[in-house]
Amino acid sequence: MEGVGAGAGFRKGFTHPLLCLSPIGLLWELVSRLLHAHFKDDKTKGAVSGDSLQLMAELLKIFVVEAAVRAVRQAQAEDAILVDVDQLEKVLPQLLLDF
Amino acid sequence: MEEEAEAEEQQRFSYQQRLKAAVHYTVGCLCEEVALDKEMQFSKQTIAAISELTFRQCENFAKDLEMFARHARRTTINTEDVKLLARRSNSLLKYITDKSEEIAQINVERKARKKKKSEDGNHNSRELAEAGVVESEK
Repeated sequence: MEGVGAGAGFRKGFTHPLLCLSPIGLLWELVSRLLHAHFKDDKTKGAVSGDSLQLMAELLKIFVVEAAVRAVRQAQAEDAILVDVDQLEKVLPQLLLDF
Repeated sequence: MEEEAEAEEQQRFSYQQRLKAAVHYTVGCLCEEVALDKEMQFSKQTIAAISELTFRQCENFAKDLEMFARHARRTTINTEDVKLLARRSNSLLKYITDKSEEIAQINVERKARKKKKSEDGNHNSRELAEAGVVESEK
């Protein structure tokens, strides 16, 4: 079943070698701006601690990489030549449930 | 008055557009690495979809973080709030918890090094001052 295949990587644990790569992209500044842009409460508009900003950057990186890797697995299972939106759509439900 | 509000709305809109563009670029980079590693190409639409997804997910994250902090009667969001975000999957929670300890450790070490450097700096400047005093007395 496609669902089972897609979710398997996650439950096996986070051992994507890609996550050990240098923290390209997802710079602090971007993450900070992203979060602040969505804060509704005026009181929180100041404050996200530095540690949690780093942690959020990690979380977002995992989110993107998981989406990409699961879509690739789906494409591989379907013997597709490239990863298209169809494959992404199939792995989306489980991805959003996991986050 | 209305014109001002409209201008402000425009500004906010274009700021959002720039943020989205930045996310799109970053997502593109990350997907490129995945593509190289798995030897599979991504269609442009897929990358656009993932970046749209990430942007929207960030909105959810931000709202949740705010609420968690407010629930804990804090105005600052800290790592506990972020860990709560990752609660839905056990392996995700474990990964984030480990990462948070790693980050805390790195920051502790960095602070210790900075403190040591500033102490050494004071020590050196004191030595120089004393040397200076000795010379002038000659």
